[in-house]
Amino acid sequence: MKSKKYLIPVLFVVIGLFLVACAASSKEPAAAAIKVAEESWNAVKGEVVKYIPDQAKGVEDTIKGAKENFDKGNFDAALEAAKVIPDRIKALTAAAAAKKAELAKSWEEMSGGLPKMLDAIKSRLDILSASKKLPANLDKAKLESANVGYEAAAKMWDEAKAAFAGGNAGDALAMGKTVKDKAVEVMTTLGMQVPEAAAPAPAPAPAPKG
Amino acid sequence: MADEEKKQGTGADAWDATQWHVVVKGETLSKISKKYYGDPNLYMKIFEANKDVLKNPDLIKIGQKLRIP
Repeated sequence: MKSKKYLIPVLFVVIGLFLVACAASSKEPAAAAIKVAEESWNAVKGEVVKYIPDQAKGVEDTIKGAKENFDKGNFDAALEAAKVIPDRIKALTAAAAAKKAELAKSWEEMSGGLPKMLDAIKSRLDILSASKKLPANLDKAKLESANVGYEAAAKMWDEAKAAFAGGNAGDALAMGKTVKDKAVEVMTTLGMQVPEAAAPAPAPAPAPKG
Repeated sequence: MADEEKKQGTGADAWDATQWHVVVKGETLSKISKKYYGDPNLYMKIFEANKDVLKNPDLIKIGQKLRIP
């Protein structure tokens, strides 16, 4: 009986040591997995944040969660969270590269077409400015507004080109779209044909009543 | 005028902003110039832009497609 009395605390100590040993066995792999995840993320973060910022946040949150678990001593949870991160980073890197290629393609198309519109507008404005009279449906006020619109569009196009050259394809495309809209407006004011690629999409047909 | 030019445009490239006019019976370069520029005296602008198809500003043909700069 006396020997059993001592046996119980010893058993607790053994179980405790076992648990500590188990936890400690996950500590190093968890630390290593977090390190790998952080290093992988830092290597590609810039591109991913630039092209798919909404998805980048998920990785950052997962790394943060793994580190918090590690700091609390939850090494198994930290390890579980951290070890899946490299695969997610790989997928996001591919998605960012695809988005980058898509933006570059859109820019290529836009930068091949918009200057043609601006050149056509400039040519027409130069001639109309030299004209002693104006054609029907165009008066001095409209011509002046077209001149102002053209100057603004040409200036913004220069800014868009600078943005693309600086690596901001998203900003460049957004500015390019504004330039296109402005160019369409000016061409319409001047009674010019709007290129098919720049023409506004037709309004959707109204829903049938009843 | 915009609608008319729109119908006349036949650019193969979807971004092509070239402005076109198809000559109809009774038109001269001066009349076309007046239509697009308001001033018939600017007809030489159209002639210069179409030197590849026009040899003489007084000789244009019905159905001829002209660039309007």
